[in-house]
Amino acid sequence: MAERPEDLNLPNAVITRIIKEALPEGVNVSKEARRAISQAASVFVLYATSCANSFAMKAKRKTLNAGDVMSAMEEMEFERFLQPLREALEAYKKGQKGKKEASEQKRKDKEKKGTDENDKSRDEEEDEHMDDEQDGENEAEEEDVEN
Amino acid sequence: MAATASAAPAESELDRSGAEEEPRATEPEEDAGSGQTGPTAGAQQHRLVKLPLSRIKTLMKADPDVSLASQESVFIIAKATELFVEMIAKDALVYAQQGKRKTLQRKDLDNAIEAIDEFAFLEGTLD
Repeated sequence: MAERPEDLNLPNAVITRIIKEALPEGVNVSKEARRAISQAASVFVLYATSCANSFAMKAKRKTLNAGDVMSAMEEMEFERFLQPLREALEAYKKGQKGKKEASEQKRKDKEKKGTDENDKSRDEEEDEHMDDEQDGENEAEEEDVEN
Repeated sequence: MAATASAAPAESELDRSGAEEEPRATEPEEDAGSGQTGPTAGAQQHRLVKLPLSRIKTLMKADPDVSLASQESVFIIAKATELFVEMIAKDALVYAQQGKRKTLQRKDLDNAIEAIDEFAFLEGTLD
């Protein structure tokens, strides 16, 4: 996917919101200042990425990881960010774990439902699957026609 | 992009069990305003970060030396960027206040960039 120029900017609405929440009430921000902050934020991402990537490359890894970003923050003299970033990362990891467990639980519940209920519903489920297969075949035929 | 679990020592030695989500809730409209598809972006952020991770990832991939980035690294860079925006806005405000103004202007940004070491990387980069 080619990168369009606007993709290299961060959404104005979000940047504005972050700025407003950081500043006391009654303070306004000119359009030019907002634009400059948004640009600066993009430069920050690029610089942080480049910095983090050199840590990954030094460690002979092809995948940039969170640790590389932390090292980059230190290198860029943003040590003040380290603590809030570590806390955010913990919360993020918990959230990701929770989501994974939730979808695994869903899958288990589905399987359990199949065994607990009587055979009739199981047959119905199997019927559904067959219907899907038929639909699939129909679609395949359509594709052939188009080709 | 590969989603690898980070095993960096710096993170494992800290056991912050009390980590909480950001007190400020992310409004769904933020995602809409950014042009990202609502459900996808919302599912990724779950109120920990406001900036859309997909946009951050696009920026990261603009670097030709970057091959892959873990989901966590994208998240951390997004979060760090938010902290950066907060920081530069507050630092620039000092200059506005010195000029007895309640409106932050471009020159306040320029002053902050010139004066503060951490912002040296920005010199010459803004229009």
